[in-house]
Amino acid sequence: MCVAMVVTVVSVMTGFLDMLKNSGRQIVGDVIVSSGIAGLPYSDEFLVDLKGLKDVQGATPLIDTIGLLRMPYPRGNQKEVTHVQVWAVDPISLATVTDYANDLYWKPAENAAAAKEMAEDDPRKNLSEKILTDGKTLIQSKTGNPGIALGIHVSIGNERQRDGSYRPRYGWFMPENDVTLTVVPVSSQGKIAEPREQIFPVVNEVQTGIYEVDHNRIYIPLKEGQRLLRLDEAPLYDLNAEPDGQGRYPVIGTTPARVTKILVRAKQGVSANSLRAQVETAYASFSKRINADPTRNASMPDFVNVLTWEQQLRDLIAPVEKEREMMRVLFSLIYLVCAGLILSIFWSIVIEKTRDIGILRSVGASRLGVMWIFLRYGLVIGVLGSALGVLLAWLVVRNINAIHEAIGSDAPPTIWIGSFVLTGFFAIGLLYSIWRGKLLRILLWLLATLVMGLIATFLALHHGTLIWDPSVYYFTSVPDQVDWITAWTTAIGGVVFSVIGAAIPASKAADIDPVEALRYG
Amino acid sequence: MADHQNNLQNHSDKTSPLIEARGVRKTYSFGAVPVEVLSGADLIVHPGEWVAVLGSSGSGKSTLLHLLGGLDRPDKNGGEICFDGQPISVSHGKRLDGYRNKDIGFVFQFYHLLPELSVFENAMLPGMVGNWLTNRSEARKSASKLLDSFGLSHRLAHRPGQLSGGERQRVAIARALVNSPRVLLADEPTGNLDAKTGEGILDLLAQRHANGLTLIMVTHDPAVAARATRVVKLANGCVVQSSASE
Repeated sequence: MCVAMVVTVVSVMTGFLDMLKNSGRQIVGDVIVSSGIAGLPYSDEFLVDLKGLKDVQGATPLIDTIGLLRMPYPRGNQKEVTHVQVWAVDPISLATVTDYANDLYWKPAENAAAAKEMAEDDPRKNLSEKILTDGKTLIQSKTGNPGIALGIHVSIGNERQRDGSYRPRYGWFMPENDVTLTVVPVSSQGKIAEPREQIFPVVNEVQTGIYEVDHNRIYIPLKEGQRLLRLDEAPLYDLNAEPDGQGRYPVIGTTPARVTKILVRAKQGVSANSLRAQVETAYASFSKRINADPTRNASMPDFVNVLTWEQQLRDLIAPVEKEREMMRVLFSLIYLVCAGLILSIFWSIVIEKTRDIGILRSVGASRLGVMWIFLRYGLVIGVLGSALGVLLAWLVVRNINAIHEAIGSDAPPTIWIGSFVLTGFFAIGLLYSIWRGKLLRILLWLLATLVMGLIATFLALHHGTLIWDPSVYYFTSVPDQVDWITAWTTAIGGVVFSVIGAAIPASKAADIDPVEALRYG
Repeated sequence: MADHQNNLQNHSDKTSPLIEARGVRKTYSFGAVPVEVLSGADLIVHPGEWVAVLGSSGSGKSTLLHLLGGLDRPDKNGGEICFDGQPISVSHGKRLDGYRNKDIGFVFQFYHLLPELSVFENAMLPGMVGNWLTNRSEARKSASKLLDSFGLSHRLAHRPGQLSGGERQRVAIARALVNSPRVLLADEPTGNLDAKTGEGILDLLAQRHANGLTLIMVTHDPAVAARATRVVKLANGCVVQSSASE
């Protein structure tokens, strides 16, 4: 049971972690270059340099900031306002670095078969290809205006179903509505400028699979982000010159548009760490070149943060990893209980069988031979227990979604009625044993009747308890793959602790004096 | 004592001894009180002899048998016990285990059969605990043959708890003989049986002795001792008399 518990829990948590990691890489690429508030100028040129690296598959600029989003609901003047993480992106290049295009949720079914699998009330059944195109370009094709894509959980209008699909709640189908985004430009000196707001039509919604992201993030076109945050190309004034009659300084050039981050995707088979080193070198070379050019109106920051996706998402991944390790350690403590149980049971057996051990020694059994008898039993218990534990864990993990579904649904009437019938049979057995007057049988039948009665009552009253409600959590199914490394290590641990538990009584058995055992045993 | 010395001398003149105990002393400590059970016991047993060790309760008969059987050791500097010229009182580990397994067989007053094993499994136990990979099939054959000759072939699958006292002792003798030992050590083999059944057991032992088995039997019953070829009397921890049985 201990092995089954450890393997089941750790397998499911490892599955979640893998899911999180896979999703994480898909949403930020392999390497992230981040600069301060002032942003990175000449990002277009740096992107060209990056794309020239042999291990780079794609790179995309982006602005990452925070903002307030005024939702279209409820009706009336008091609209709901929510804080969001704003990603101003170039959607086309973003799709080469992340899974952005695939993560767009509202899209028509790919084919007739897929459409047939969708529920009748699924809005995707009636969508046209246009909504997907609008999402991919962040342009509302109907008006040509820049659009916004919201994380699927930003709006409360999306109600998640058990199959992982969404239905508009309270009639709020977001791609038919506008939202108002307010952002606060911050100067390179950290001073806050006048907040700026813009109304965007919602062109699509994004489902990355990570709730934290889908709950907070919105996507707008890069140009709009740069403009709203005053990171776009702007005239450069000579503040040392005399202003003209209208108080304007002479324009001596333009400052380049800026971004705050660049996401880079590695080619297949290239590690994130290897790419990170290449990107760092490329940036050093690029900034040196730009800063040495006297014709440039802006200089590159002396240093930028270059992180791998794992380092970037540390805040998301680390707690889950810690939880998994905590689980592993806590559940592994059960081994000590197992070893203690085997020790106490075997100790009692050794005391009970002292005379028999003396007999074995008298017919030539060696001390090691006597020790081996108990160690062998410990080993057999360990091996059998571990094998059964792994088997049980495999059965549970492989069927965890069906089990989860069963727990989350009403018990079928046939099951609970059948349980009551079985309780009735047990009650008859109880009455019969009372008539026969055998105490042990009375007790066993009584226990069976009570346990079965409780199970039947529980089933009859059970109306479904979803442990991981898909409408709350970001995943649609519980991971159902056994973590075989954990399974093997846990099974070996089970065997080792069983043998350790058996070793102490086995040593005592080996130390028994045969004469004493035969005389007094 | 003079008789005893003569007897030892006479036997040693005929053949070399199989078991030889000289000046064996054994002291047990019961808490802080040491009790000397054997205080310089001498015994020489030649191949083919049936020696009965006679003595009252507490005279050290069983202790002597345990020492001869390698289950216990004499005190430090407490004499020497040799089997076939080789000292066993200073042997350790494998050598001593092998001695108990192959060279001797033990029969106890209270049978000491393993209750969870069948008659057949009990009989072949020495073959199972020794080098069982090689000996198991031989032990199986030998146990089967012995139990058959002891009239227990219909009881092979029974547990010891399902047998009479005489049957249990016969199983114990079969177990003691399964590895064809050269010496059988019997500790009051009839002590727990009625007279008639005890006679049957003694007949069985006599039969094995007639086939060449060396027997050392401990008893407090002179009538039982009379079946042996030689009787050794033990008193105050010493062999005080050794004489041929009448």
